[in-house]
Amino acid sequence: MRLNLITTRRGFKGLSPQDEDSSQIDDEKRDKRKIGFGFWVSIGWMVLVVMAAFLAPILPIPDPDQTGAGGRLDAPNWDNWFGTDTNGRDMFSRTIWGSRISLTVGFFAIFFGFAVGGPIGIVAGFFKGATDKFLSIIIFILFAFPGLVLALLIISILGQTLSVVCLTVGIIGVAPIARLARAITISTAEKEFVAAARILGSTNRRIMIREILPNVTIPMGALAFLGMALAIVGEGGLAFLGLSVEEGFSWGKMIVLGSASRTLQKAPWVSMFPIGVMFLTVMSLNYAGDRLRDFFDVREMGIGGG
Amino acid sequence: MGFLLKRIGQMVSVIIAATFLAFAAMNSLGDPLFNVVGFVASVDCDAVLAGEIEDVSGQGGTNVGDCEVVEAAREKYHLNDPLPVRYVRWAGDVIQGDLGVSFKNSMPVSTVIGNRIPKSIFLMVVAEIFALVIAVPAAIRAAYKANRAFDKSATVSSFGFISLPNFALGVILFYLFVVKWQIFPSRYEDDDLFSRLRSTVLPGMTLALPLAATYFRLLRTDLITTLQEDFVLMAKAKGLSDRWIMFRHVLRPSLFSLVTVFGLSTGGLIGGALVVEQIFVIPGVGRTFVEAVIRDDFPLVLGLVTIISSSFIAINFIVDIFYSVIDPRVSRET
Repeated sequence: MRLNLITTRRGFKGLSPQDEDSSQIDDEKRDKRKIGFGFWVSIGWMVLVVMAAFLAPILPIPDPDQTGAGGRLDAPNWDNWFGTDTNGRDMFSRTIWGSRISLTVGFFAIFFGFAVGGPIGIVAGFFKGATDKFLSIIIFILFAFPGLVLALLIISILGQTLSVVCLTVGIIGVAPIARLARAITISTAEKEFVAAARILGSTNRRIMIREILPNVTIPMGALAFLGMALAIVGEGGLAFLGLSVEEGFSWGKMIVLGSASRTLQKAPWVSMFPIGVMFLTVMSLNYAGDRLRDFFDVREMGIGGG
Repeated sequence: MGFLLKRIGQMVSVIIAATFLAFAAMNSLGDPLFNVVGFVASVDCDAVLAGEIEDVSGQGGTNVGDCEVVEAAREKYHLNDPLPVRYVRWAGDVIQGDLGVSFKNSMPVSTVIGNRIPKSIFLMVVAEIFALVIAVPAAIRAAYKANRAFDKSATVSSFGFISLPNFALGVILFYLFVVKWQIFPSRYEDDDLFSRLRSTVLPGMTLALPLAATYFRLLRTDLITTLQEDFVLMAKAKGLSDRWIMFRHVLRPSLFSLVTVFGLSTGGLIGGALVVEQIFVIPGVGRTFVEAVIRDDFPLVLGLVTIISSSFIAINFIVDIFYSVIDPRVSRET
């Protein structure tokens, strides 16, 4: 047994600063500069899923609500790739149609999170002082609620429509997004080009939009992927609590329907296929986000461990 | 000492703000009376009592009698007072341990929650034990032989478990162990410790596996970082055994971020077990909360939000304090 002090160095994230092994540092850089093959596979899968969701109405698949597209609880076969559910509806078609609500929630929730959390974080990080204190307290209070608890509270008050679900899942995202934006803004605001802009007489607003925003946007892109994954999962969680959208169906609602004991016993595919597709999508988002995060090296800014 | 006081003040004010927010939102956006007296709550009773609107009793409409019920309910639940007054009264009761009475079965909220909380805490403890038992040895082994077969497969599977939503994992485990192989019971049994443990294994695992994956990744990274330090080389040069170095010198300074995330996730589990309790039909806090929300059981929802978010904040607070004990620089910064 021996500790792998030398052979194991390649690819570690945490190098101690006093380490001056130059070949190793080169390795580290190379690792970061290459985004990797897996990243493009993830993007490919996401493009496929998004395309399928967009093109669902014109794809040659049965109507997702049409009963009798096959027998009841048919196993996967050539006509019904993912089998059929208790009402004889085609699961492949339902999985594609179900992606529309799941992806919509994923996208708009994170859009809302950025639209609210981003400006809060930038303003707090830029002005510091009392503004920062005030905004930080708001962020802190949002953090005080465990995610789903906050979601339940909001949905119970506002009802179960698609826009409320998007909004709710988005609000959960506001606090972490704002915190990251604030951290990046604080470190960017100390840079020379910001000081230069200030000396040249730029207004605060101009500095925030023209100098800080672009520098915040790039690392936040990684967070967008991770956040979208969380939002899709969040909608699924709400579905399990019976609090997702009332009309239509999402992956989460399909998994709920397929997870009744009797259905699971006779036809596990009814839940396992949506689970599989959701898993691949979430994993692609996570992986792409992770790679981007390493690529832009925002790990030390405090979104690690998520 | 000043640091501690400041932190306690911060914690208390955040708890107050959070509960006030929940209280205000539910009071102003929802209609708390609706669930007590039914649809008559929405009728303009002042007008009815003043005789401005026709008394339509006997035609299936509102009558003066209904309105008296509404008035009585308003009196009983103090709904005529302004919002801040009601909040202060409510908060005063909460401090004395009185969370009000559930609308539906008129049981005290504190009793309802008191009955349910042990099951959730039990589930939480089991889940955290599972997670640590899986993650810590795996991380040590992976870091010890980093980038070898075990490390690589563990890292890849940990990524998979992080990406698998907990309800999906729950459904898969339920399918395999309850429906297919019938190893575990399908309903929650709580007769003795053994049956309780048996019923908690699967939901515990559902919560533990993604947690273990997170812990594993954190601890592995930190261990590898620590292994690069000079003092490890020094210990190695002294001829200490690898095992001794790993457990005596490397493990403790590598636990820093694990402790943080452990604290945070413990807090998260209090509310985060919602979905898992739903799948495995465990009558814990999460399930009670969902039921209360669906039935609009106003006092129960508020009581649960208070309990859940307060314990969440309190745990974060303890982690913070623990931090400053390990690393005194933390308290000097703020």
